[in-house]
Amino acid sequence: MSFWNELDDEMRAHREMLEEQFVLQGMSREEAAAAARKHFGNQLGAMEESRDQWRFAWLDGIMRDVRFAWRLIRSQPVLTLTAVIVAALGVGANTAIVSVMETVMLKPLGLRDTSRIYRATVRIDKIHMDHMTTSAVEFKDIHAMKDVFRNVAAAQGELWTLQSGSEPVRVSGQAVTDEFFRVFDEKPLAGRFFVPEDHDCLVFSYPFWKSQFGADPGIIGKTIVLDSKPYRVIGVANEDFRFPAKVDAWRALYISPERFAKRGYDMRLTVLGRLNDNVTAERATDRLNRYVAGFKATPAGREMDDYRYFIDLDTFSHFISGDLRRPLLLLWGAALALLLTACANIAVLLLSRTAGRRKEIAIRLSLGATRVQILRQLAIESLLLGGIGGALGIGVSAAAIAFIGRAAIPGKSLLALVRLDWRLMAFGMALSLGCGLVFGLAPAIQLLRRSQATAMTRAGRHRFQDTFIAAQVAAALVLLIATGLLLRSLWSIERINPGFDASNLTTALFNAPPNDAGFFDRLEASLASQPGIESSTIAYPLPFNGFGGLTSGFFIKGRPQPKTEVTWHGEAWLVSPRFFDTLRIPLLRGRFLNSSDMKSAPRVCLIDRKFAERFFPDENPIGQEINMYGDCRIVGVVGNIRTVTLDQESRPGVYYATDQQEGFELRGVIVRSRIPAGPAIRAAVRQASPQTPVFGIQSMDDLIGESLGIRRAIATLVCVFAGICILLAAIGLHGVVTQIVGERSGEIAVRMALGAQPSSILTQFLRYGLRSGFIGVICGLGLSIYAQRALGNLLYDVKPFDPATFAEACAGIALVLLVAVVWPARRASRTDPHAVLRHE
Amino acid sequence: MLVLKTLTRGSNHGYGIAQHIERVSNDALRIGEGSLYPALQRLLIRKWVSAEWSTSDTGRKIRLYTITPAGKKQLASEEKDFEITIAGIVRVMEGA
Repeated sequence: MSFWNELDDEMRAHREMLEEQFVLQGMSREEAAAAARKHFGNQLGAMEESRDQWRFAWLDGIMRDVRFAWRLIRSQPVLTLTAVIVAALGVGANTAIVSVMETVMLKPLGLRDTSRIYRATVRIDKIHMDHMTTSAVEFKDIHAMKDVFRNVAAAQGELWTLQSGSEPVRVSGQAVTDEFFRVFDEKPLAGRFFVPEDHDCLVFSYPFWKSQFGADPGIIGKTIVLDSKPYRVIGVANEDFRFPAKVDAWRALYISPERFAKRGYDMRLTVLGRLNDNVTAERATDRLNRYVAGFKATPAGREMDDYRYFIDLDTFSHFISGDLRRPLLLLWGAALALLLTACANIAVLLLSRTAGRRKEIAIRLSLGATRVQILRQLAIESLLLGGIGGALGIGVSAAAIAFIGRAAIPGKSLLALVRLDWRLMAFGMALSLGCGLVFGLAPAIQLLRRSQATAMTRAGRHRFQDTFIAAQVAAALVLLIATGLLLRSLWSIERINPGFDASNLTTALFNAPPNDAGFFDRLEASLASQPGIESSTIAYPLPFNGFGGLTSGFFIKGRPQPKTEVTWHGEAWLVSPRFFDTLRIPLLRGRFLNSSDMKSAPRVCLIDRKFAERFFPDENPIGQEINMYGDCRIVGVVGNIRTVTLDQESRPGVYYATDQQEGFELRGVIVRSRIPAGPAIRAAVRQASPQTPVFGIQSMDDLIGESLGIRRAIATLVCVFAGICILLAAIGLHGVVTQIVGERSGEIAVRMALGAQPSSILTQFLRYGLRSGFIGVICGLGLSIYAQRALGNLLYDVKPFDPATFAEACAGIALVLLVAVVWPARRASRTDPHAVLRHE
Repeated sequence: MLVLKTLTRGSNHGYGIAQHIERVSNDALRIGEGSLYPALQRLLIRKWVSAEWSTSDTGRKIRLYTITPAGKKQLASEEKDFEITIAGIVRVMEGA
């Protein structure tokens, strides 16, 4: 039985007993009933009061306030919609950026507790290389440091081909030593992880297990063939374990004894270690420094000392996020500026509405409402707006994250992992509610405090509004200037000529089949026979692959390397003879490579102009011999090309004939064609070897675009943020001026009736409206000069205080603000004094 | 306090409580139903009384309230406070 019914029953019984008593006293039934009712009093009131004993009365009050706020919000749909959208944009941008930062920087790859995982990297100051992978020697020695590292593992990336059905599948793998999973404290989802005795064993990643084997647990213990080599599957990793980001499988890495022999050679190992529980990073670094110093003191270490060789300890998040850190912080700054503008905008909007409700509030106060009650009601309105804005903002950020995941920028595999989880949603919601409360309520409190002095209130409110408008304009200007500088940089970079004709080029990668000597000749022949292909070449690595050529030291025959100078380094490229023809790289001296440069012929190479100018400034390089991968005679000089990003000059380059160099497995093709060449490349490779998978088919323009991706993404986002900011500032200013014009319509009418010219009314409001805008511009300029530093190396060929950009940004914002003010000001100047005065 | 005191004489229903207080105080204290029932709810919340449904001698469904040990303790302390207060008032009135 419900509480309500119980109470009703109980009271009815009471009344009936009263009735009976009255009857006994000699009343008639009807009289008795009436008397009992009278005696008992207001039953409903008593019931309600009884119920109130159980409930919190204030909860009721709050529900009433929520209903009231909801009605109010709905009664002003335009204002509400504006406030909610503004909040959603600010909160959405922030939540999205913070989600990315969370995945990339704070909790790399969703791994559990990576704060104690460090990566040991080699730094060789003499050749300006740092954060390098190590050779097996360092791994062995660091692995032996049980006093500081609990577990140490080495990993190296590999690519395998899986024959499954008719189509060969490319498998992105990692060869890892046995403690790899223990470094991450991972437990297998099924089966087991590696032990030191494991050879030719495989652990699947969850996505690969699911996509290739339908998550079949029966695969464990079976054997699969990768690159014609059998591997036994022993386990599957958990779904949330994803290091590296796009790995398919891990195999047990066996390091042959000869790899342990020489330090500084075959440096391909990523060494990851988990510190012992009581060991700090400082102590571990100290231990490594002592180890390096001890090693350098030995006769064998003398050479390393010459090179200025060190071992550094990188945090895991640095290893994962690397170059993304700075752009992300920059974007977060921009998003915060946007949020600030949004909040200021909401404050202005709510303030103007609260001002309109001054009368209502005064009535409520005089009817006995306490200030706390009024504030509570205003707070609930702010929270309601903030809540709706926050919910929408979470939607915005979810859409933004989906967009970021598809963005073409380096490291995008990392960004694809960004997810919006409940903690981030809570963050977004808290941000929205907090901003709603602070920016909605603070001005209201101010207003309430001064509610007695009406004139003061108006002045006070206007000061508030001016401040908020100025803040919005300042934030918008900072973002606008940043956008201008970034776009200028981007334009100057995109105008750079890479040194070859990048249009109509398509690139692709393949794994060369092992033990198939004739494959490359067959591939070249079948590529040449494909319809639509103008010319094609085999090359490794590909330009704009993200890293450039193979960085290698070299000697010049007959010329001793000066001891004081940095070791000579160049970038090596392995290309087939048609490379220069296909990319349209000019020959400056000597000859190109040609088909006579075969395995059996004398080994030759080409150098680029930069190489020639640097190392052979006063002599003819043709005929000189250099030793990078064995002795090679220089037969030609070609033009420079850029290969990492357009804004980065490449190092001196050397081109070798693919036929004459061995030991490089992965190759790429570059094809010049007027039609999309993807299908032709696939067909050609299949013709040459049916078991060879082709991947990474991309146009050269896309590759170059991807190398600029981070710049483009930042410029785009900052530009969008700046646009929203300016729009908000304009809306805010427009709203304030409109409101002031409304408030002072009487005064305007009187002045006009007394003969004031419309133009003087117009200039009055223009001056008023632009004053706060002007203050904002001054503040924004000051802030910009300070904020420039955040852009740092994102600028190219643009001075940080580029006067043209500053002037354009100021002019742009002034124009927008002018439009925002002119509109209501013109309306003021067209006031019909008769109509207004009659109305009053 | 008055309600609790009434209940020390045994379980009773709302009407009975009101009647008792009225009768004993010679109609000087008339407790309105509008405050009796909220008061009873308060006592229920603090667990000073317990309530159960039962049937009266006349066959009517009624709710019987019974004082709990905690209620007796509360009554004792209230009575003591009350005596002190009354004694104080009496002294002031007589001394005036």
